[in-house]
Amino acid sequence: MENDELVQNMLLELRRGVLSIAVLSQLSKEEYGYSLLKALSDLGMEIDQSTLYPLLRRLESQGLLQSDWRIMDEARPRRYYVISPQGRAVLNKLKREWSTMAETMKKMLS
Amino acid sequence: MSLIDRYVAEVGRHLPEKDRADIEAEIRSMLEDMLEERKQAGRSVDEKMIAEVLEELGDPRLLASQYAPSKRYLIGPGWYDVYIKTLQRVLFTVLPIFAAVTFILTLTEDPLDFIDAAGNAVGGAFNVGLQIWFWMTLVFVLMERSEAVPGETLSSHIRTWTIAQLPELPRTRQISIAETVMNIATELFLMIWIALPVIRGGSDSVPFLHPDLWNFWLPLFFVIMGLTLVHEVFQLKIGNWTPALTATNVILSLISIGYIAALVLTQDVINPAFLAMLDSSLETARLREVVTWSIDISAAVIAGIYVWEIVHSIRMARQFSKQKSEIPASMQKVS
Repeated sequence: MENDELVQNMLLELRRGVLSIAVLSQLSKEEYGYSLLKALSDLGMEIDQSTLYPLLRRLESQGLLQSDWRIMDEARPRRYYVISPQGRAVLNKLKREWSTMAETMKKMLS
Repeated sequence: MSLIDRYVAEVGRHLPEKDRADIEAEIRSMLEDMLEERKQAGRSVDEKMIAEVLEELGDPRLLASQYAPSKRYLIGPGWYDVYIKTLQRVLFTVLPIFAAVTFILTLTEDPLDFIDAAGNAVGGAFNVGLQIWFWMTLVFVLMERSEAVPGETLSSHIRTWTIAQLPELPRTRQISIAETVMNIATELFLMIWIALPVIRGGSDSVPFLHPDLWNFWLPLFFVIMGLTLVHEVFQLKIGNWTPALTATNVILSLISIGYIAALVLTQDVINPAFLAMLDSSLETARLREVVTWSIDISAAVIAGIYVWEIVHSIRMARQFSKQKSEIPASMQKVS
């Protein structure tokens, strides 16, 4: 039972890096926070809003995303995020690293 | 909407000022998206639904902390160990000395007031301790904050790290600073004590040492003491019993032993006028005997200390050269 918290913490750490890649990969076209949440969720990646929104800001402050407030489809103004050129370069590197790592882990865990 | 206002305000309260308005607007927009989705599912927006949505977002302080990249601590793990160690070392050296000095100074004003002296010592040490603690903490907080975002500096540091940046092993000292300083103080005190009657030049006090000694023996004493002091300073600076330091120490100690032996064996050390002045029931001849005897014993003890000093420094020198030769040997094994 006392392992639960330990597992939770390790999962949190494991997800932290993965989430950044997931978010970057889904922002080749503009999304606002909530629509991105839905898109990720539809693909099977569940993420808390209280995690996603700060993550978006962090990625933007690192120059990997761009954002601005905009009105689309005659709705309320929303903040739309999209990947930046720098973000795309970073994503490509991460993708490569990810596939190597996934292969290695597959070998290790099978 | 008052629940939403309260929630957003609570988040904003824990955010850095410059991002506050922007993040608040974003959270508001996100809340409206959540409500809208539920509305499309056929429910009407009411207090209960708002509460549900807010609870899904969770503790506003937690949400704010997710946004805040700023440091939420005074001294981070990078500095903490150094901070504690420095604080300990400074407090444990300064406070006892401070307390002792205060104690003695208070006693010199009123030799019997032990309670007052102890109170002054403890109270003063407490105040000094608080001051040291405060300023030291402030310095470390500033050092913590003077670095850029820790993650960034760390990663750029790792990337450019070369073996040249590996610090040397901390240098160990064989020669204690405190002990050497004590020695210097004792020697200075002794020199002043001997020189003072001559400097003052007053004839009202009778000097303890024989005046004839000033013709040769006492000037020689000052020369030897001067050399010893210089040597002591080098001990402080070098810190270890290197061959040169050990050799000079042995020579100086041998000179000192020779000086003391020659002085005691060939000279009358005590001023006869001083002996005559002592109001004693003992006969002068008997008194002279006792004094001579105690002088001989003191000389023997001092000579013994010098011998021990010689043996000690040679032993330490051997240890030091062994340590030095061990390091290259272990490195050869690695490569």
